[in-house]
Amino acid sequence: MSSILGLIIAREYLTRVRRRAFLIGTLLMPVLSALVIGFVGLMASQTEGETKVLVIDRSGLITRWDDGYNAWVPTHPDCFPERTDLSYRFAEEPLADSTFMTSDFDAMVDFDDAIVQHGKAMLYYERSPGVVVQGKIQSDLSHAIERFRVKSELALDYETYKRLKMKVSLVGQDIVTKDRGATGRAVIGFVFSLTLFMLISIYGAQIMRGVIEEKANRIVEVIISAVKPRVLMAGKIIGVGLVGLTQFVAFIVIGWAMTALGGFLFEQSGLIGGDAALQGAGLDWKSWLASQDELSFLLDVNWGVMALATAAFFVTGYTLYASLFAAVGAAVSEESDAQYLMLPVMLPLIASYVMASTAMQDPEGTMAVVGSFVPFSAPVMMLIRIPLGVPLWEVMLSLLGVSLTAVLVVIFAGRVYRVGLLMHGKRPTFMELFRWMRHRS
Amino acid sequence: MSSVIQVEGVSKTYRGHRALKGVSLEIPQGGVFGLLGPNGAGKTTLIRMLAGITAPDEGRIAFFGEPLERHHQMRVGYLPEERGLYKTMKVGEQGIYLGQLRGLSRAEAIRRLKVWFERLEVDGWWNRPVSDLSKGMAQKIQFITTVLHEPDLLILDEPLSGFDPINAQRIREVVRELSEQGTTILLSTHDMPSVEEMCGTVTLVHQGEVLLAGGVSDLREQARQGRVRVVFEGEAIGFTAALGAAAELVSLRSMEHPRHHEAILRLPESADWPEWVKWLASEVRLIACEPYATSMREIFIQAVQAKAAEPLSAT
Repeated sequence: MSSILGLIIAREYLTRVRRRAFLIGTLLMPVLSALVIGFVGLMASQTEGETKVLVIDRSGLITRWDDGYNAWVPTHPDCFPERTDLSYRFAEEPLADSTFMTSDFDAMVDFDDAIVQHGKAMLYYERSPGVVVQGKIQSDLSHAIERFRVKSELALDYETYKRLKMKVSLVGQDIVTKDRGATGRAVIGFVFSLTLFMLISIYGAQIMRGVIEEKANRIVEVIISAVKPRVLMAGKIIGVGLVGLTQFVAFIVIGWAMTALGGFLFEQSGLIGGDAALQGAGLDWKSWLASQDELSFLLDVNWGVMALATAAFFVTGYTLYASLFAAVGAAVSEESDAQYLMLPVMLPLIASYVMASTAMQDPEGTMAVVGSFVPFSAPVMMLIRIPLGVPLWEVMLSLLGVSLTAVLVVIFAGRVYRVGLLMHGKRPTFMELFRWMRHRS
Repeated sequence: MSSVIQVEGVSKTYRGHRALKGVSLEIPQGGVFGLLGPNGAGKTTLIRMLAGITAPDEGRIAFFGEPLERHHQMRVGYLPEERGLYKTMKVGEQGIYLGQLRGLSRAEAIRRLKVWFERLEVDGWWNRPVSDLSKGMAQKIQFITTVLHEPDLLILDEPLSGFDPINAQRIREVVRELSEQGTTILLSTHDMPSVEEMCGTVTLVHQGEVLLAGGVSDLREQARQGRVRVVFEGEAIGFTAALGAAAELVSLRSMEHPRHHEAILRLPESADWPEWVKWLASEVRLIACEPYATSMREIFIQAVQAKAAEPLSAT
């Protein structure tokens, strides 16, 4: 029987891996992701052209008349630095709308002394400046007003004010482990759990489609006359799982190769290539990029444990969900009928993803801890906590829970699968599915 | 003659519906066994049990005297009525895969496939995807993959559906050859001429019960009930008058030739056949006189109708 299982695994694996779509997807995904990220980076670094802003300081708070220039100039020019994408002119009176529209100004900022009270200025435009430019205008104006207020209300030298002004940042440290990189490593955990979520949902759905196809093709009757349904189901789950693993490994290898190449080509952008590959697997590269300032935590992550845990939770979690997907596929005759049965299967999976993205903010919180023990969410949730250093017994307990649940699910889903394979026509009700679950061979 | 399959008191219930009610039958080794019955009679349920897909709720099934188990399926070939192939696989690969599932080595599967592909004229399709095949072509591939592992028992459920007359004839010949080589064939079909042509024994199931079983020639002889077919030249009225009480006239019809008529007569049990023919020849101009050949179609319909009439006659 083991050779039969091998045959089924090989067929499920090879027919998928040999498909042109798989090859293209596997090769193109990282490349496309790199291109998209490169393009976004390029666009971000490129100026959209210069935005000319006319600042209307009706009350003369931050501007003065300069006879030399014969124009209004900022009282403190360093508040409005020269930028390639932004230039300022100043005035006391706003332009009439028609004049503004024919002028070469892109935007007009208008305020009077009330700005000191409510902190608001009007921005007029014909075409809204980009968010980045707006942010710069806002920041420049805030500086200038702040400087005005320091001078007028505190009669304080701005340099002194700047010296006195203080921004406090929090540096977290675990009191027991003296660990300082928790947040960054929670991001790493999230990346792994997201990968797991993607693998389970993509390849789970593939299993379902495969089962429906076999049923619709009517080949399944011939196959199960030679092979036990549970062997067919196991073969399918393992074969498709290996396809997922292959693609994941391919992404990592291609990503690594591209990182190396990227690092060689761009001294500074070596990490972008690596991210491109991660993006290929659907990972959140932004949050990863955001953590680049504190890359030291990467060295603190126990990658061996992480890899082992990912593998263990993938095998158990994937088995759990894949058998549910197989049962859904067997219970229906057409893919369109599968939707209503997909929901109860996808719901815990999506819920654990949503919980995971929240738990990333608070990896030691109640939700993260509880979620990492509930068998249906544990595979996704535990991976967030592991980089932070979870006691081994907790990991083992969680894994045991997932494994036992997976065994139970395989048994019951296997029954639904066996009965469902030969059922055609009307889709079964939930009551019927429960009846199938009780149906022993 | 030993039996390949022995079914004893087999019952099966689905969702409160009794698909089989204590069915017993025996499939003798060699020859073609016809499993007949109207739609919903329980044929597919029984076939699926023989193919190892489902198990009976009650009763037992023996394969060459041993209780039927999963491993016996390596010696069974099954062509279901609703059949298909993996559309995304290539024809050759698919054949190899199905052969391997039935215990053949890859090399052996390839060797046998090549022979069969040539025989049924599908060579040249080896590397084509299944989705390119016409219905008839796909049927041939399905047939080949069913017989590839040279099973002792070949279960064919409507094997000729989807074939044009030429290919249907070719498949009939192949089935006959396999049967001559010792393969036992279970043929389930609604095509009664095929049953008459191919089957040695048949069992008719209806509403989950065996209605009729036996050798095809025996059943046809039994169903004849002393009827003879007579073709004569002359006037129908004269013939009827001459017949008198010598035989019961069942039916009479004119034939294409203006003066030829066909009469179906039922002879009394006591009738001496040679004497009777001699007498008839003296009365009319006789063209043909032979025992009436009851068609399987007629036997089938009569048996099912008689069963349907049973509760009425009982009341």
